[in-house]
Amino acid sequence: MNRAYWLITGILLMTILNGCGQEPEKEPPAPPPEVSVPPVQTPAPRAHPVTQETRDTYQFYCAQCHGTEGHGNGINAPHLTVPPRDHTKADYLETRTDEQLFTAIQQGGLSVGRAPCMPSWGATLNENTIHSLVSYIRELCQCEAL
Amino acid sequence: MPILNKLFIAGIFLLAVEGGYTGADASPELVKNKQCGMCHRFTPDEADKPAPDLFYAGDKFQKDWLENFLQHPEVIRPAGHTRDPGFLRGQPEFSPPHPALKTKEAKEMTDYLISLKILNDGPPLELGDLSKGARVRVKILFERDYSCIACHQSYNLARQPRGGVSGPSFINAGRRLRPEWVYQWLKNPKQFTDRGRMPLYAFDEETLRKLTQYIMSHQKDDSAQ
Ligand code: HEC
Ligand code: HEC
Ligand code: HEC
Repeated sequence: MNRAYWLITGILLMTILNGCGQEPEKEPPAPPPEVSVPPVQTPAPRAHPVTQETRDTYQFYCAQCHGTEGHGNGINAPHLTVPPRDHTKADYLETRTDEQLFTAIQQGGLSVGRAPCMPSWGATLNENTIHSLVSYIRELCQCEAL
Repeated sequence: MPILNKLFIAGIFLLAVEGGYTGADASPELVKNKQCGMCHRFTPDEADKPAPDLFYAGDKFQKDWLENFLQHPEVIRPAGHTRDPGFLRGQPEFSPPHPALKTKEAKEMTDYLISLKILNDGPPLELGDLSKGARVRVKILFERDYSCIACHQSYNLARQPRGGVSGPSFINAGRRLRPEWVYQWLKNPKQFTDRGRMPLYAFDEETLRKLTQYIMSHQKDDSAQ
């Protein structure tokens, strides 16, 4: 095998370390740098109200990582090196716009400079459902974007 | 959901009281006697049950693995099945060991299960081997781009299982699953279940094949079999 091959393999291997599959025993690496998300108008508050369907959707898909009450302690949580976000913690969620939360859910953690352990749900959930999940997370944290 | 769960439990209880699965089905005596239908569906039109569906077992499983599993069950879903009422709490009501069969029964049961199919028999999927470089690239898809590892166990570099537990483990997938089925699942899981907890993806043909190859490359060591 030539050197270029091993070099490329080496670089790729390093890239993997930024995946969601790091060794649990190792210190998690620093979070990826913040990507600058263009300022977007946050949608009018509660334009997409929380319904029973929203809650069911959260339980069905999100709770396996974020926990049934959104504390970030779902059954997958102990196996992920970057813990699922605690959706009841206002101090962090206040720093995120509704648009950023929407994008994280629709396109996954990587799309907003967050960990790849957060999958993208854009092919599973329609936009209205994702908007209502953002409303639900705002309900859980009892907070709005500052 | 909670109502459904109560229905399951009530249903299981009723079935247990009646002494076995009693739906109009063509399953052999062995299935009825062993009460497999208490937990598993053998036809798509039964109500949901809290264990994996078996009406496409012939599409899904490798025969040798199946025969072995029925005699020496292994844990595939470390957190229980997604329809188990205690799944999200991390306290599944079904806990291993799975009922085991004797060799003769396992053979008969395997022959029956292998006959259960919903897919049309197509040509076998020719995947070839993953080159080292391709393997590294698909590993990145699996662990990074698509978050598969967040819900499914794979191997780390020291060959220890690691990864999430809400989905079935892949640590023996290469012996357990048929590549044609894995490919079809990744293409469209709705062929097999109306609503799973796995996100839907829209993979292109190449990615479908690469991910299938990657999953099929997982095997337990022979000694552990
Ligand atoms: C496979 C596990 C998993 C599932 C399932 C999951 N998440 Fe996440 N989620 C994560 C992880 C891990 C993070 C933390 C990412 C980080 O902090 O880098 C996260 C972060 C988030 C964030 C915060 C993003 C930010 O800006 O920091 C939101 C919002 C979110 N998830 C919503 C959801 C919703 C809604 C669902 C269900 C549709 C869901 N998640 C399902 C693992 C998951
Ligand atoms: C008390 C409930 C229960 C009964 C009875 C039961 N099973 Fe299971 N079975 C399960 C559960 C739960 C799983 C999933 C185990 C795991 O993933 O670790 C399972 C897994 C399986 C699998 C592997 C399926 C897959 O997709 O991985 C097969 C095959 C199977 N059972 C066949 C049978 C047969 C045949 C019988 C009757 C002899 C039977 N089971 C009786 C609960 C049951
Ligand atoms: C949010 C968790 C989650 C993510 C992310 C995820 N899956 Fe799954 N997967 C599941 C669950 C749960 C099941 C069991 C069926 C169901 O409920 O959908 C499953 C089932 C499967 C199966 C069938 C296995 C069997 O034995 O029945 C395959 C194959 C599979 N997933 C592959 C993948 C691949 C490849 C990826 C990444 C592209 C992926 N999954 C991402 C949760 C997930």
